Amino acid sequence: MDETTLQVYSVLFVAITVVLVYTARFFQTRPGRRRKQRQLDGFERIPTWTTRSIESNRPLHLSFGGADVGGEGTPAALAQAEFFHQVIQGAKASDATPIVTMSAPATLPLGQATLRRAWAKGGTAARAQWIPPDLAFAGALTASMDIDEPEAHILAGRFGPELALMLDGANRRGQPSLAVSDRLDGQAVAYALADHVLIGEELYAAPGYDSEDGRGHGDTAVLDVWRALIIAGASVLLLLEFARRVALLNWTLVLAAAAILIVLGLFFSRRR
Amino acid sequence: MRRVGGGMSAFVAFAVGVATILSLLLGDNPALFGGQAGSEELARRLALPGDVLLRLVVIVVALSIVIGVANLLFVHVGRAARGAFTSAVVLASFAFTIYWYVSRRGDTSLLEAVQVPIESALAALLFLSLTLGGARILQKRADIWGLLFVVVAVIVLLGSIPLAELAPVKALSDWLLAIPVSAGARAILLGIALGAVVAGVRALLGQDRAFRG
Repeated sequence: MDETTLQVYSVLFVAITVVLVYTARFFQTRPGRRRKQRQLDGFERIPTWTTRSIESNRPLHLSFGGADVGGEGTPAALAQAEFFHQVIQGAKASDATPIVTMSAPATLPLGQATLRRAWAKGGTAARAQWIPPDLAFAGALTASMDIDEPEAHILAGRFGPELALMLDGANRRGQPSLAVSDRLDGQAVAYALADHVLIGEELYAAPGYDSEDGRGHGDTAVLDVWRALIIAGASVLLLLEFARRVALLNWTLVLAAAAILIVLGLFFSRRR
Repeated sequence: MRRVGGGMSAFVAFAVGVATILSLLLGDNPALFGGQAGSEELARRLALPGDVLLRLVVIVVALSIVIGVANLLFVHVGRAARGAFTSAVVLASFAFTIYWYVSRRGDTSLLEAVQVPIESALAALLFLSLTLGGARILQKRADIWGLLFVVVAVIVLLGSIPLAELAPVKALSDWLLAIPVSAGARAILLGIALGAVVAGVRALLGQDRAFRG
């Protein structure tokens, strides 16, 4: 594919996404039209943690990890800022100001703004904390688990294998955790060690789960539409490849099989 | 007033976002405009806003490290004042490292003598944490997926042992890594990429709370 064609496709992809986002937001903000979200165990635990945080006056710990504003982690940082805003607002009856940590210095102003906006009581200046990256980040957070005694840890952003140290520290202190990373190594560690885990695009769907105005629901719907299109396209291409290689198959059979697969996918997706 | 500020910042985010994305998507490719006379100049001009804004981002990000260090000091000064011993150690180490670096004209041996061994020790600890986590996974996820995770991890570990007797396991491990693991990793990355596009579009349209105020 030459550069011009690639650019045209890119422009089309962005334009279609813009149209889909606006359309989904239009429908999702209307009362009665809001779609039901898939149930994700990790999100369902958050209200319990915020309630416990209020009752015990222990802070929640929210971390962006290495998600960096201005770099590849910008979308993750922005999505998590939205998610953290909603979590912090849920815990605003507590006397313990939540702690927001990050290892990318450019994310510090975003973290501070999120905390200040969601936590109207003030006293947030020292609660958004930059910590040097990688193992130093893990070491510092593990040490602060004894000092600040967070009620729970929500580690959502960009993490590598060093996430294991933080999650192991949290496990040993009986502090529950939710983890997700946009890096594969961090994601594998999160799956193995976190109490609750989000996977892949659920990192970006997070704002939609606590959103009250329906806009987040709309964004999640757009994600689902793109994902369904990609799965359907990949399934059809796979079947066409089979049809090319196996003489017994024909186009009608392939299309029928593709339709059955898509219907099954939709059925199971709705059941989940 | 706050509402006006939020509106302004959303408008600036929208204008900058649209200018940058159009500049990146349409700039520097005269063929996109039919390769006619003046198309090169048009493509160059379209690429200019994107270049300028991205350079500004690089400068701002480079400066943000100063904000990070200031925040680190601010947080630990407050903690040290409340009697936190570890914060006092952090501040003393910071001051001593600066003094050492300045008085010894850029000598980084202190950093190498302290930081490198500590990070190596943490890396060793990381290995233990990972092993322990792998061993405990069935306590956390006592389902088919937890079992599958452990079985695959064991096969891949056994496959990495250079013993002739384990050749079939190595073949199975190679197949697992090349087909199912690779497919799963691509699926996760694809999901992340789609999520990043939607989050990017939301920010681009100034709909993100960070811009709405």
